[in-house]
Amino acid sequence: MIQFERFSLENGLKVIFHKDTTTPLAVVNTLYDVGARDEDPEKTGFAHLFEHLMFGGSVNIPDFDAPLQHAGGESNAFTSNDITNYYDVLPAQNIETALWLESDRMLSLGFTPKSLETQRSVVIEEFKQRYLNQPYGDVWLKLRPLAYHTHPYQWATIGKEISHIEDAKMEDVKAFFHKFYNPSNAILCIAGNFELDEVKRLVEKWYGDIPSKMKPARILTAELPQTEFREQIIERNVPSDAFYYAFKMSERKSAEYYITDMLSDALGRDKSSRLYTSIQKEQKLVTEIGAYITGSLDNGLLVISGKLSPDVTFEEVDTAIWKVLSEIQTEKISTKELDRLKNKIKTAKAFQEQGLLNRAMNLAYFELLGDADGVNQEAILYEQIQPEHILANAQDILQKTNCSLLKVKAIQS
Amino acid sequence: MSLRNTAPAIHPLQKIQFVEPHIFDITPTVKLYWMQPVPDETTRIEFHFDAGTIRGNRKIAGFVNSLLLSGTADKTSTQINQELDGLGAYLDQEIAQELAIVSLYCLKENVEKAVAILVNAIQEVAFHEHEISDMLREKKQQFLVSSEKVSVLVRRAFQKQLFSNSENYNRQLELSDLEDVSVLDLKRFHKEFYLQGLRKVIVVGDVEPAYIDRLIDTVGAWSKPGICEFEKDFINIPGRLHIEKKDAVQTAIRMGIPLFNKTHEDFLDFQILQTIFGDYFGSRLMSNIREDKGYTYGIGCGVAESNNAGYFIIATEVGKDVAEATLTEIKNEMDLLKVELVPQEELDLVKNYLLGQILKSADGPNAMMDLYMAAHLHGKDFEYYNEAIQHIQNISQERILALANKYLNWESFTIVTAGTKD
Repeated sequence: MIQFERFSLENGLKVIFHKDTTTPLAVVNTLYDVGARDEDPEKTGFAHLFEHLMFGGSVNIPDFDAPLQHAGGESNAFTSNDITNYYDVLPAQNIETALWLESDRMLSLGFTPKSLETQRSVVIEEFKQRYLNQPYGDVWLKLRPLAYHTHPYQWATIGKEISHIEDAKMEDVKAFFHKFYNPSNAILCIAGNFELDEVKRLVEKWYGDIPSKMKPARILTAELPQTEFREQIIERNVPSDAFYYAFKMSERKSAEYYITDMLSDALGRDKSSRLYTSIQKEQKLVTEIGAYITGSLDNGLLVISGKLSPDVTFEEVDTAIWKVLSEIQTEKISTKELDRLKNKIKTAKAFQEQGLLNRAMNLAYFELLGDADGVNQEAILYEQIQPEHILANAQDILQKTNCSLLKVKAIQS
Repeated sequence: MSLRNTAPAIHPLQKIQFVEPHIFDITPTVKLYWMQPVPDETTRIEFHFDAGTIRGNRKIAGFVNSLLLSGTADKTSTQINQELDGLGAYLDQEIAQELAIVSLYCLKENVEKAVAILVNAIQEVAFHEHEISDMLREKKQQFLVSSEKVSVLVRRAFQKQLFSNSENYNRQLELSDLEDVSVLDLKRFHKEFYLQGLRKVIVVGDVEPAYIDRLIDTVGAWSKPGICEFEKDFINIPGRLHIEKKDAVQTAIRMGIPLFNKTHEDFLDFQILQTIFGDYFGSRLMSNIREDKGYTYGIGCGVAESNNAGYFIIATEVGKDVAEATLTEIKNEMDLLKVELVPQEELDLVKNYLLGQILKSADGPNAMMDLYMAAHLHGKDFEYYNEAIQHIQNISQERILALANKYLNWESFTIVTAGTKD
């Protein structure tokens, strides 16, 4: 059970406070309700590029990191298709330094041309390091547009192509900031050994004067229901053939979400899972296989991916995979298997909640979903899942007409 | 002047409350370390074996480690995995040069059963032929995939150059090693380095004290008799080496020198120097090569420690057109630290940052245990970190300059690049 208090400021900033008396550290976590899905299709990669610029100095403070390091702290951030999340970890007695820095960059950025120029280069190198210079590194750049035809999930957070980042202009950067970076579009979570009154006073002191703005409306192009099997083959200079089956699934807030999460565990989370034991261990058709969900806020994907054993064809593996999928759609899974999945989830959650930073991030994320207390309800939702729920969900999702298949064919160049 | 133009006051570090683990003698040289105060249901148990890659030949240590849970005469690997998963247990097997670790993560209520399954699996592993061929097939594929990464190619070559005078330490797996293996060799290695190779047991969890006694009874027979020998005095091959990789858009760079570990008198102060140089976000290398030039997504340095030695390493991946320019800038930053005093303001920032890092690395029972073990490996205890705090508070600009001149000499570095040369 993660305890928390909630309050908000007049300018619309939502604040969650999580008290932990055992730690000498404090976390200041700021979630902005903006991600790659909010980007212009012609200017993709922008939410992520912008995250980099947030470290390039704010209106009153030329350098973000140095004062935080001077206070004994450190900071980082990540961007997803849904959100942009910034966090600072520092000795609790210096929490005000983090509030000073975070509130100033919420107020306004420095917008120096040097920062934009440098971070464009850094992000391009990140693009190369993560997506272009790794075997199979670009599969998500191909799989997304195959699975999503209209929804902005069709591009990755890094962007569709390098040119979008190269072409970013200062006026775009400023417009993005003014639209998405304001108190009403943010959730602040503070964690550490403090009293609520003290937290309220400090937050009011540093954030109270930031002008209020309307929360930007989000009107995204919905993804039309998929009615046909999609398949694409790409050739790459990689050691072995690989496959990615992507099935559309529910949005994050749906009750189905938890069932599909568990369905993906049953299929391919660990070495007791069905795909692993059948296709890798018994039939030896693959050298690796797994299943997982993307966990996105709008309709997500359940993905089955793996690599073929030498001299095995895509057709052989395809037949074997659909056989496993057919079994889970016709026969209820045993309570023994279900308990195994539930126990793994329970253990994982207990370990995740050990970290102060994890707790702070989760509270902010669940507050975005509608209620920070959701973090405490999750365990019950998983616990309530029954074999018939998995069966019905499998029948619903694991259909060929709901599937996008990307094959990577290994070639020697 | 507005509120926002002035930084809030910085308050100095409070005294860190270190929590000592309980220590039990399994034998005079093999001990169990137990961190009991854990405010939740989680339990972590680690078994450390003298079964690192320096033991046996080039491939055998890694193979045995991968096969530990591959089945016994009575149970298949899938049965073992299902039993452990049924208890919600997570398992991790890792291998390094000087040790192999098997870690178990589960809830307190399941720990005794999960350990019993794990111990039985390791004790009775049968090395079935089909499991060996599965392992070889999977390892071969992983090897081929990782060989496509410049970061991996550079690491393999770097290790060879850095530990040039020790075959045990510089050995690297080759594709041909994955063709076959003798079952007898696997069994021999398992018997010598696992069933008689246990060096440490670590427990972080609020388990019953009586369980600690039972755990010692369960695994005590695996204890390593006598003392483990590790090498020291490594000699590197200085200078450049390039590994060509076709069609790479980035070049990986790895450079370093043999150095020392916590037992050396310069270790603590060198940590401060290398932090300034490249081991935090605001470091000289990051500020110049990422934040000013935009050559890379990240660059960093660090000191890796082993039982009797250590080495200093700098690593990055940069655009292929700027690899040479990056090396020039790394050299410039080294040279600068040797001729100019670090500004007091920068030194103060790094001091505070490092004190904050120590506080962070002591937060929570798992971190506390890791912190203790890092000192204990070199015959020290928590007093070492109080000493570290003293060093950080007292170090001078002149001392940093002197250390830079003593250790950061370009000509002594092994410099390896992997990528596409134009």
